[in-house]
This record gives sequence, C-alpha cells and structure tokens, in this order.
Amino acid sequence: MSNLPVVQVTTLKMQFMLLFSRQGKLRLQKWYVPLSDKERKKISRDLVQTILARKPKMCSFLEWRDLKIVYKRYASLYFCCAVEDQDNELITLEIIHRYVELLDKYFGSVCELDIIFNFEKAYFILDEFLLGGEAQETSKKNVLKAIEQADLLQEEAEAPRSVLEEIGLT
Amino acid sequence: MSDVVEKTLTALPSLLSLDSQPGSTKLSSTSKLGTLIRGITELTSKHEEEKLIQRELTSIKEQVSSPNTSMRQMKELMVRAIYCEMLGYEASFSYIHAIKLAQQGTALEKRVGYLAVSLFLNESHELLLLLVNTVLKDLQSTNLIEVCMALTVVSQIFPKDMIPAILPLVEEKLNHPKEIIRRKAVLALYKFYLIAPNQVQHIHNKFRKALCDKDPGVMTASLHIYLQMIQENPEGYKDLTTSFVTILKQVVGGKLPMDFNYHSVPAPWLQIQLLRILSLLGKNDQSTSEIMYEVLDESLRRAEMNHNITYAILYECVKCIYTIHPKSELLEKAAKCIGNFVLSPKINLKYLGLKALTYVVQQDPKLALQHQMTIIECLDHPDLIIKRETLELLFRITNAQNVTVIVEKMLEFLRINKDDYTTIDLVGKVAELAEKYP
Repeated sequence: MSNLPVVQVTTLKMQFMLLFSRQGKLRLQKWYVPLSDKERKKISRDLVQTILARKPKMCSFLEWRDLKIVYKRYASLYFCCAVEDQDNELITLEIIHRYVELLDKYFGSVCELDIIFNFEKAYFILDEFLLGGEAQETSKKNVLKAIEQADLLQEEAEAPRSVLEEIGLT
Repeated sequence: MSDVVEKTLTALPSLLSLDSQPGSTKLSSTSKLGTLIRGITELTSKHEEEKLIQRELTSIKEQVSSPNTSMRQMKELMVRAIYCEMLGYEASFSYIHAIKLAQQGTALEKRVGYLAVSLFLNESHELLLLLVNTVLKDLQSTNLIEVCMALTVVSQIFPKDMIPAILPLVEEKLNHPKEIIRRKAVLALYKFYLIAPNQVQHIHNKFRKALCDKDPGVMTASLHIYLQMIQENPEGYKDLTTSFVTILKQVVGGKLPMDFNYHSVPAPWLQIQLLRILSLLGKNDQSTSEIMYEVLDESLRRAEMNHNITYAILYECVKCIYTIHPKSELLEKAAKCIGNFVLSPKINLKYLGLKALTYVVQQDPKLALQHQMTIIECLDHPDLIIKRETLELLFRITNAQNVTVIVEKMLEFLRINKDDYTTIDLVGKVAELAEKYP
C-alpha cells in the first residue's frame, strides 16, 4: 500500500494561542476553535507542562496529540500556537515573531510586565493581526494605527465627532 | 522614543483605574487590576490564591449586579473578571454584563465589552443571541470605530442561525471607502463561509471584486476565501490562475508599498497564500501549471536571504513545485533547496527538510538516497521530534532490504517515547510493515 502524502494545502488554521510564564502562569489565551471550559483548562495545563519540559536547543515544533505545536520563548514568556497538522510550521513561528514585533512597537521595548498589566491591549493587537485565526497581511503601521485610533477616541470621549474628523474617519 | 509610544503614553488616561490622571505610566500602579495582580504574585500557595480570587470574584459579582455601577466602572470590573477566568476560575456571572457593556458602553468600554464576550463565550452559548442586536446596531453606526469593533467580533464568534439577519449589512460594507472596513467585511464573510457556506453562495462575484481591490490588505483577505473555495472545487477557478500569477509576480517583484515588507521580504504571508492556491490549481493539470512556472522560478530566486520567513516561503514553493505538473529545471532547484534544509545546522530547518523529503520521496526517491548519511545521523539526534520525523521518512522508503533495520529503529524509539499518540501511530506503522514484509 503506497501512502502517497496527500496534498493537505489547508488554510493556516490556528486552533489557539497561549502565552505563559516560565512558572506556567497563563498570561494570555486566545481560542479559535469551540471548546468547553473544561477542555480548555485541561489542554492548557497539559501543554504548558510539556513545553516547560523542553530543553532550550530543541526544535520549536512538536507534535502533541493530533496537533502541531509551535512555540518560542521570548525572555520570560513562552508564546505557543497550535496549528493543524499539515501546515508549514515556519510560517507559524514567524506569525509569533510578527506578533511580538507588534507588541514591541506598541509598548516600546515590551517586557512581560507590560503584557501582564495591559493584557487587554495585547488582545486587541492580536485581534487586529490574527482575525479568526488567520494572519492578516496588513502593514505593521495599519495594525497599530487601528489600535491607536481607538485609544485616542477614549481620550476625547466627550467630543467623538471632532476626533473622527481630525483623523479623517468621517 | 518613537511617535507611537509618545502618543500612547500621553493619551493613556490610566485606562484601568477609575480616576483619570493624564500622563500616568503604562503600569497603572494604582489600578484595581494592578493591586490584584500584585496580590497574587505575593502569595505562596495555590490555596491562598484561590481564597484571594474568590474574594475578588465575590466583590466583582456584587458590583456588576448593582444598578449604580457606571459603564466606566463596569469596564474595569470586566477586565478583572477576564483576568480571573484566565487564571482558571469561573466568572460566568459576568457574561451577561459583558454583553451589556458592549451594548451600552462607549468607545473603549464597548471594546472591552466585545473583547470579554469573545473570550468568555463560545459559538454555542445561549447568551450569544443577545449580542446580535448590539452588533447590528453598531454595524450601522456612523462611528467607524464601532463598525470595526462589530466586524471584528463577527469574524470571531457569531451564531450560525442569525447570519441571514446580518449578511446584507456586512455585504454593503464591502463597498465602503475605508479599506479597514472593507477588509474586515471580507473576513466576516470568510467566517460565514466557513460555518454556513450555502448562505453566502450568492455573493461570489463580490469576492472577485475584493480580489481586485486596490488595497493589498483587502485583496489578501479575499484570498482566504478563495483558498477555501478552490480546495473544494479547483476546476471552478482555473480561469483565475493568470490573475493569481500576476499578483504573485507583482509582490515578488516588490511592487507593493514598503509598508508590507517583513524583514525585507515583501508580504510573505500573501506569497504563501498564493503559492498554496497555485498548488491546488496546477495539480494534475499541465496547461494550468505551465502558466505558473515562470513566477515559481522567480520566487525561488528571490528568496535568497537567511531569515526564517524566507525559508518558509521556499518550503511552500518547493511543495508547490512538487505538487503541480512536473518541470525538470524547477524540480532540480527545489531538490537543491531541500538538500540545503536537511544539511542545515539549524534544527528547525532540518525538521522542515525532513518533512519535505517525506513529502517528495514518492516522486523522487533518489533524493532521499542522496542524503542518507544525514538521515542516519538524524536517527540518533537527541531531539525526539527529529527522530520521529526521520522514522516517518524511513517508513516511506522502506523496501525489502532495509525493512528489518528500520523496524528495529522504530521499536527502539517506542521504548523511549512517552507520548501516547505517537506510540499509537508508530505501532500502527510497525504492524503495517510486518504485514507487508513477513
């Protein structure tokens, strides 16, 4: 029986992204597939333990259950994504890197504390960049611009019209 | 300090605290969330953490149910609730208030409300229906930021049955003058296509318009839909091959604005999407494949630099070349590429090289032979993942001569492996081989 590898040119469907510290504390979790709370907790726990057990020189990709996991450690934070099995793992690695670059640009030399104390901002940026689990090829400028504009809006809450005109949205 | 950071710092009115002190630092040291986080960090046991969080949750619960809580306070409470849920505690009492916040809050409050909803709820949750009205309202708002937020939430989580109600509104956004809205509308439609394809059948011509959109972001977004549709029906889209080839040519040739460059590589994710689409279109089809040879050659040539993303593109290129109708010069170059990967000292590249070899080995068994020394080295690699991938490759080049050795190696691996799934997989393979070569 010849097992011709089937062309699984699937979309880069990310299942979830987790950020956690070296002690295994979750800093951010974004799920792109419907799973119950209980399942999510179990997956997070198991996966975090597995990744924390990896040594530094090892491959950034690992097969875990029926998923492909891509992870990378930046300073004290682990960024970990799960993609479907046949995908090109390097792309996911670069998606993680791109996300880190966006965070860095937004917070200015980002550190773990920035993400901890402003995690909802990290979520906003993630959502602009990875909508529904797919990487958007928008320029870095556009992603951050979208976040900033909403930030500015908060400041001028009493006169929203003028800000919108100012930044050319009306 | 960069522009962005300056602006952010001055505009940030200590988002998480209830008092707005302009110019306060990003770390909101006086905020309630800050206090909570610091409180948790100081504790030493899980038991104490539980107690603290339960106290916090009770306090939050009281406040969200109180009629006197303003939207601003609600936003702050929501952030803390999200944090608690992230740590693994349950705060379902706050779900309904998240929806309320999205409904009644303004700007940033609404944004946190939507964020909370997208994090708390899932597609089958009953509260999701309540969200629909809010989204409908926001989609028609004159405030474009609100429209953006609504579209973002729709792309992430939306009840399937309510799609007809919202579809016309999303469709009309496809013609919006602002590119960010058009892009998000396309993505929302992509989401609809995934969960209920028959509902969006009638608007395929609008996707074509998005494909030709002058903004690259919108065009890229439409590619997600196309990739999905082409996967299901490649024949229906062969006529678009020239368009895709032209787009890829332009991207590789650097015709996009500099903005879209990622480490000097023009729009890499766009390139990869296009390569995948081309693979699907060119498979088993000589005439279609011929249209793409030139641009594939160009992509191979251009991807010269030493950056991970270049390798990612090369990998996709190689896969594409091996999938479509074969052309010898391209195959040669692709084979060389795979060789470079396998021989690379970088462990991630080695992994990809092995994967590529596994993929092409049926078509080109000589390639595996060429690198057999490296493959044998990989068998003894300390990293289990590489080992496993090598075994996968070996499984495919098993023949009567080497089967004994290969099965022995597999059994060796099984002894040290601890992961259940891999074990099951490998045992299956061993059984297969045993049957094939008694």
